Amino acid sequence: MSDLLIKNAFVIDPINRINGEIMDIAVRDGRIVEDVGQGAEVIDAGGHLTLPGGVDSHTHICGTKVNFGRYMSPEDMRAGREARRGVKHSISGYSVPTTYANSYRYAIMGYTTLLEGAMAPLEARHTHEEFSATPLQDVMANTLFDGNWGVMEAIRDGDIERAAAIVGWTLSAVKGFGIKLTNPGGTEAWGYGKDVTCIRDKVPHFEVSPAEIVEGMIRVCELLRLPHSVHLHCNNLGKPGNYACTVGTLNLAPDLNEKRQTLYATHVQFHSYGGSDWKTFCSKAEPVAYTVNNRPQIVIDMGQVMFGKTTTMTADGPMEFNLYRLHHDKWSNHDVELETGSGIIPVLYRRKNLVNSIMWSIGLELALLVKNPWQCMLTTDNPNGAPFVKYPEIIALLMSKKYRDAEFATVHPDTGSKVVLPALERELDWNEIAVMTRAGQAKALGITGIGKGHLGIGAEADIAVYPLKVDEIDPSTEYQRVIDGFAKTKWTVKRGRPVSRDGEILVHGENTTIWVDPKIRPERDISRDPRFVEMFNHWYSVRMSNYPVQDEYLRRNLRMETEAAI
Amino acid sequence: MRIILTMRPRKNPFIPIEAEGIVPSILMTGAEITVWEGNRERRLDEVFEVAVEGEAATVEEVEVVLRGDTSRLKRVGEYMDGGRITVEGDIGMHCGNFMKAGTIEVMGNADGWFARELCGGTVICRGDAGHYCASGYRGEKKGMTGGRVEVFGNAGDFAAEHLAGGEVVIHGNCGDMAGVEMHGGTLSIGGDCSRPCGNMTGGTCTVLGCAYGMIPTFQAKGETNGPDGKNISAFTGDIANRGKGSLLVRRYQYLK
Repeated sequence: MSDLLIKNAFVIDPINRINGEIMDIAVRDGRIVEDVGQGAEVIDAGGHLTLPGGVDSHTHICGTKVNFGRYMSPEDMRAGREARRGVKHSISGYSVPTTYANSYRYAIMGYTTLLEGAMAPLEARHTHEEFSATPLQDVMANTLFDGNWGVMEAIRDGDIERAAAIVGWTLSAVKGFGIKLTNPGGTEAWGYGKDVTCIRDKVPHFEVSPAEIVEGMIRVCELLRLPHSVHLHCNNLGKPGNYACTVGTLNLAPDLNEKRQTLYATHVQFHSYGGSDWKTFCSKAEPVAYTVNNRPQIVIDMGQVMFGKTTTMTADGPMEFNLYRLHHDKWSNHDVELETGSGIIPVLYRRKNLVNSIMWSIGLELALLVKNPWQCMLTTDNPNGAPFVKYPEIIALLMSKKYRDAEFATVHPDTGSKVVLPALERELDWNEIAVMTRAGQAKALGITGIGKGHLGIGAEADIAVYPLKVDEIDPSTEYQRVIDGFAKTKWTVKRGRPVSRDGEILVHGENTTIWVDPKIRPERDISRDPRFVEMFNHWYSVRMSNYPVQDEYLRRNLRMETEAAI
Repeated sequence: MRIILTMRPRKNPFIPIEAEGIVPSILMTGAEITVWEGNRERRLDEVFEVAVEGEAATVEEVEVVLRGDTSRLKRVGEYMDGGRITVEGDIGMHCGNFMKAGTIEVMGNADGWFARELCGGTVICRGDAGHYCASGYRGEKKGMTGGRVEVFGNAGDFAAEHLAGGEVVIHGNCGDMAGVEMHGGTLSIGGDCSRPCGNMTGGTCTVLGCAYGMIPTFQAKGETNGPDGKNISAFTGDIANRGKGSLLVRRYQYLK
């Protein structure tokens, strides 16, 4: 691999406490080094904003759920069509585009690492197959354990080590990255035609409550010493008045890890609703943000809603059914044997709709009210709140009070009495945006150690150069320039190789799948546990020997081995 | 102005030609346009003999005449905004889709997706039309929103699916699922059809023949006067979808 030198870069690198220094960045063999020789390829950044490659810590881009979204929305493929050109594949789609479209659009925005938010273990192969067609970003997949029968039984019996053994074995088997809980217990209850109303309700048959699942899984995660914490989608998504349940859940999280958070609550916008029905629906971002501010062991992501067409998809089956009852449009529901479920519905968020306008405000309020940017990540829960191509607009909204006011004037007129957004004066700076879009996300995922999210010596050379001159732009007034700048990098460099320039894709690329392999003592190997094997053989439609994802499904991959404490 | 396009004989007449450039407002400018024959891009005069008679100041004075074997010619009149296209033989798929104004008249038969998502203007087929005549696109909620489609022969399945506005008249029979998901506009079927108007929420559909496989979720509203002065049975529905559409059928049979 050849050497690369990025000269005159205006670097913001929060992890290494660099806030706007003109530097040269030297790259050799895909890693950042002190210096390279004369023969290196030179990119002149010309004093433009240079950040570590973007990290999206919660997005839905690959897997059965996303693909079913494509399947049920052929009309989505009418947008975003581009013909094959050079190294580029033909692409199409907007909210659930083709894998290459996802990859190219993320690369053009400077993103180099993505976390697929929810992979059903049984259907992991599909996710890995689509990962191999997402060539310009390193990828990893959070694995769903919200309704895992074996885990729920172990937690009910108070046997956390057994739960950890099951989780550890499953993660290794399906080549997953972290623990994802989506409406813990709720999707399983939905299998019995029920849901859980809050964290103290019992799941039918298993007699275990969401609170017990969350607390148990946090301990499982620490026992296995996983790089990422438990990744939680709280119960009651999208229901008026659900903030109380959210705050209750956040208060369950103990502080167990000094390197990172112990609980990552995702798309919290959808969980910060007040009121008792749709008429009294209002924002409760303040109490949620207050809880986060007082609990440094928690990290959240926004799950910002932006107006327009999109597709909602989640493993939260009952919630999608409730949405279906509101919209009466297309709906898909899916059950994944002993593990989880899912639902999909296309939606249109409208400015003229009061509820949608309040949702739009809540996401921004959370980002502005959480004081520490390391605790609030910038996401849209792509594509649930909006497709990720809206990120530049969200950045501009967070950086400019003027832009927020201008947008606020166009939403439903009654929104003002339901939200606090107009009263928030805070405008985020460049450093805070860098934290919320890469550094903080890499830290929350626990991947800074493998060189993600920063530009220090030895870091992976994932670099984004944006056409923004920080000294010459006032983001609070010139928000359009901020949007345009973050929408298209001058250069995106992935593993030391320029992959896009001014919106043009330069290489076919090859990504790395990052997965976690907890090392468990042989006597705790759950695949030799008679009770587990019996349950597996009795209920699953596949044989246990066919369950693990074969190595052929992963091309270039990085196995993160952890020393589990069991 | 009359622009006569005569199809040249082709070695393999089955290869489809995509000709979204055959629209009066584009042809009247004399701009160089190309069509795709399979995966090859061709100049218009490689595929057609082009003859131009007279001049035109506005698009309304332009008539495009298509001659020869045009049965594999697709997307003629796409986004048409005025003038007239006359097809002397058959026409291929997607003729007149998204059309806003003007007239298309097909003397022969039309293939599938005829006048899909029409917004305005008039589209006439003297022969039979294929499946998805005057329909919407797959997955999309709104189909045709305005204008008039008239088919003198029969139409295939899913005629006027997702109809949201405008008028569709089919003098012959329709296939399965005519007017399914319609929520506005009017659909008139001169002959028979099967399973009409499932999931309908609005608009009016009249069937002067027999509706086979009549959907049970329509509520009978008694007899009324039909468009031809004779009695006709009135239904409202589809109540399974909280619909308030109106379905008038002369004769009907439920599924056994």
